[in-house]
Amino acid sequence: MSAIRRPSHWPVTIFCFIWLLITVFPIYWIFVTSLKSPLSVNGGPTYMPWVDFIPTLDAWRAAFSGARGDFIGPLMNSVAISLTSAVIALVIGSMAAYSLVRFQFRVRLLAALSFAAIAIGGYVGLVHGVGLGKIAGLGLAFILAFPTAVILNTRNLPGPVLGNNDVVFWFVSQRMFPPIVSAFALYLIYAEMGKAGVPLLDSFAGLVLSYVAFSLPIVIWLMRDFFAALPVEVEEAALIDNVSRFRIFFQIVVPMSWPGLIATFMITLSFVWNEFLNALLLTTAQWQTLPVWLTGQNSYRGDEWWAIAVAAVISITPMIVVAAALSRFMRSGLSAGAIR
Amino acid sequence: MKYNKKLATTAVALVVSASGLSATAQCSPDYTGVTLTAVSQTGPFIASALKMAADKWTVQTCGTVNIVEIPFGELYPKFITGMTAGNVDFDVMTFAPAWLADFAPYLSTMPAEYTSGAAWDDIAPVYRDRLMVWDGKVISQSMDGDVHTLQYRTDLFGDPKEQEAFKAKYGYDLAPPATWPQYYDIAEFFTRPDKGLYGTAEAMVRGGQQFWFFFTHAAPYVNDPDQPGGMFFDPETMDARINNPGWVKALDDYIKSVKFSPPGALGFSSGDIRTAFAGGKVAMNFDWGDTGTIATDPKQSQIAGKVGSALTPGSTEIWSSKDGAWKTYDSPVMSPFMAFGGWQAGVPEASANKEAAWHFVNTLTNPENSIQAAITGGTGVNPYRTSHFDLAPWLGLMSEAEATSYLAAQKGSIEAPNVALDMRLPGYFSYTEILEIELSKAMAGQVTPQEALDTVAAEWNKLTDQFGRDAQKAAYRASMGL
Amino acid sequence: MFDRAKYAFILPAFLVVLIIGLFPLIYSLTISFMQVRLVPPVPPSFVGFDNYTEALSQPRFWSSVRITFLIATLAVAVQYVLGLALAIALNSTLPLGRVYRAAFLFPLLMAPIAVAFIGKMIFHPGVGPMRDFFGLFGYPDPPFQTDPVWAIGMLVTIEVWQWTSLVVIILLAGLQSLPRDVYEAADLENASRWQQFRGITFPMLLPISAAVVFLRFVESLKLIDTVFVLTGGGPGIATETLTLYTYQEGFKKFNFGYTSAISFLFLILIVIFGTVYVALIKPQLEKRT
Repeated sequence: MSAIRRPSHWPVTIFCFIWLLITVFPIYWIFVTSLKSPLSVNGGPTYMPWVDFIPTLDAWRAAFSGARGDFIGPLMNSVAISLTSAVIALVIGSMAAYSLVRFQFRVRLLAALSFAAIAIGGYVGLVHGVGLGKIAGLGLAFILAFPTAVILNTRNLPGPVLGNNDVVFWFVSQRMFPPIVSAFALYLIYAEMGKAGVPLLDSFAGLVLSYVAFSLPIVIWLMRDFFAALPVEVEEAALIDNVSRFRIFFQIVVPMSWPGLIATFMITLSFVWNEFLNALLLTTAQWQTLPVWLTGQNSYRGDEWWAIAVAAVISITPMIVVAAALSRFMRSGLSAGAIR
Repeated sequence: MKYNKKLATTAVALVVSASGLSATAQCSPDYTGVTLTAVSQTGPFIASALKMAADKWTVQTCGTVNIVEIPFGELYPKFITGMTAGNVDFDVMTFAPAWLADFAPYLSTMPAEYTSGAAWDDIAPVYRDRLMVWDGKVISQSMDGDVHTLQYRTDLFGDPKEQEAFKAKYGYDLAPPATWPQYYDIAEFFTRPDKGLYGTAEAMVRGGQQFWFFFTHAAPYVNDPDQPGGMFFDPETMDARINNPGWVKALDDYIKSVKFSPPGALGFSSGDIRTAFAGGKVAMNFDWGDTGTIATDPKQSQIAGKVGSALTPGSTEIWSSKDGAWKTYDSPVMSPFMAFGGWQAGVPEASANKEAAWHFVNTLTNPENSIQAAITGGTGVNPYRTSHFDLAPWLGLMSEAEATSYLAAQKGSIEAPNVALDMRLPGYFSYTEILEIELSKAMAGQVTPQEALDTVAAEWNKLTDQFGRDAQKAAYRASMGL
Repeated sequence: MFDRAKYAFILPAFLVVLIIGLFPLIYSLTISFMQVRLVPPVPPSFVGFDNYTEALSQPRFWSSVRITFLIATLAVAVQYVLGLALAIALNSTLPLGRVYRAAFLFPLLMAPIAVAFIGKMIFHPGVGPMRDFFGLFGYPDPPFQTDPVWAIGMLVTIEVWQWTSLVVIILLAGLQSLPRDVYEAADLENASRWQQFRGITFPMLLPISAAVVFLRFVESLKLIDTVFVLTGGGPGIATETLTLYTYQEGFKKFNFGYTSAISFLFLILIVIFGTVYVALIKPQLEKRT
């Protein structure tokens, strides 16, 4: 028996238990705080209902009355948007990650740079020089830049050639840019699209699109390592049998990667579920999401902890349901590992 | 006027129906099919007042109001991004007067029909003639009143034993402080850590409404009655005045408050000082009208029934920037500070329903609806009309003694001859940000008050130059009604 | 056929990211060389590198860089060590193992803003339990919000509380995909647990560890919510992170030209960090194979 499978029990158990307490205590704290009256919060810390304070459902009633902002609508929006975005991002992201593990990509640095140069130069020239609108300028610059770069890439250009790692790094770099300016830029372009007849602001599609793009770097970054750990022999055998790559991916690779896929899905889902800045800027009345409502609980009139606690409990509950459902998968992954 | 107006609208409705259109008396004016989008901070404060008015408006006009709630901190960016990108998808916006300078180019003027008559005259002059006006045009409607007032515990201040002990120690009668030195005497007197009682509580943390508390400290020292509007800047040259001896004295005072505050006071935001007062931990605080309504509510307060209100302390000395010297007065000059200045409602020029939107704003703020909002818990609406100071409606909310003193303090403050207006300038946030940073450094003892305020003054002057000194001067003068 | 699959697999993701990411990037890059301010509005004008030199000459910019990297380094280091230990512990059969696994997910599922609120509640001088906790050691009311060292400690603690679980679930998934036969071989050679950890587990987890550390680090650099809610960046600017600084410049002052310049400087710093990181970690990864 290996150490990894069965360490000596008691120090490990105590260690996990202490961390469990640390993890759970704040959750317990918001839960009990949601049952406190303003008086029992402001008097100083109290810990146990009925022992050191009398619980009340007032804060919950206030939340459900809608006085602190409607949350049912945003809750439904958040569920729909985050599930859709996370699923789409997981599917196309793990496909991309798979291709980055199994195939060699060669992008000539000069081709990539020419794309950047033509896109940026074209945009600046068309918008600031010629005076086109942002959409037209961007569209035209893209139409000029992309095929040029693709064609250039097939030529035997001098200079370094970028490989898979660089492509992955490019994906991840999309998440490195501080979100303030890019969220505003996205807002601008969505507003322009709206004037051009494609309503993306305050729409399901617009928000999902932004979240898929926002999640893809994480999915690709994580799934690549999970796929890399898979044995390649099964796939090679299938390839010899002339099974298509898509079937290999969905029928062989995906079933072998459940633990990684679940973990990645969970992480993506929680990122999208909790995203605030895009949700704030890109929505108005129809598609406002839960974090916008949640953030609003911090009123300038002072911290009404009981109400904030209710809001926090409401915002985490759907995620706990998802986590409970998925922890079953995580366990089956684990037991599969134990049998192996 | 109320009746006149009803008559007028009925007459209009009669004429309209007589001319064969389908308007009924139930929808007057008829806004059937009109949906207004009103943006507010997340409820209950302000948003619930909008909701109350929206229901009434729907009954009256058959139009509907869709209320969008945005977190307070994000309201300003949301409006600015929408208006500057030309993507105005809201008809009614509620905002802070300080933002008016930045919003002014995008706002529509209130229709003339609403700017006269009894309901108009009923609005307290400081709002009606000063805060709602920008460049001579009425572009916003106050829907809430805001001024800092002092709150104190009547059980402590009225206790004969305390009175006797106080007089023995300080040589004058224990009463709500009329000057800052008295304020500190009283705060010191009641600071009894062993009993869990402290003198006062003030918001002090960066990002916790801190600078308004500092302004309230400063107003009595620097709001020179002989030079109206000269508190923050020299209205002639637009030079920052925030490092003059009056301001420095105010910062010295403000730092002194830490000594008489509960532990952790440097981390207090304005919310914390309300709970500290309502929790019976401090003998006094000064704050917006909210402390008064929270502390008198037995559900939220351990001192309900024992809350007195007064004007914030004044001063017998005022720094005159013109003379470069202190001027002394025989009796304290009260200079209550209109911190924040009360929520306002406005209608963007780009709204497709401007007429209906202004009508809704009028419904929201007319005398009968606004008093209803003011006395309903959780609306966050404080008095801003003369008619709001009638005692009767308030008795459901607090005891008679509490209500009398609360209303007297509110009324006395906004009607005080030397009432001080909050700073309103284009690029407001740039000015307050550097102030907040330097204040919190001074509070934490990293720099001296003089150093902190010198830095602020230098940065303010730099900002003014950067934004255009003449434009800023014109805006500042407009904001101060000069 | 082979080649077509290769591009078909990557193209959807590539195009979505390119199209959604392209405009913001081009827009920001363009305006970072311009004076663009929405309040008070100024007509946009080309200013060359002025925004960049302005930022680089601001002590406030450098202070926020230092604080951001300090918090991120401390937080990620603790998260990784703690997360690895927990993942290894959870990979064994423990009593209540499933409870742990589910419970450890909770913090991760919370919006950072909610975590910030909860943190503020817990560290609150008046209503929070931390006061009682430190009171046990005879030191009630530590200056969490007013002393820079305590404030940073508080922010790191909250960051560790929230994100350690992310490290745990990724490393746990990584552990589960390790081949079992290697351990069996090690058992046959009577390798001690520590030897197994050093010789097998840690090296084999290195790729996924490198990935998770990098991901956490990059995300940590964007820390804003807890700082915003708990300290507002204070006292002074002692806890102001880069993202908070960009937020203030961008969303309060609407000084977008300058904000874009800071954002690009931030990006450059991360890319430098990333390059150094990859350069350091690559030999380790290659040693393994």
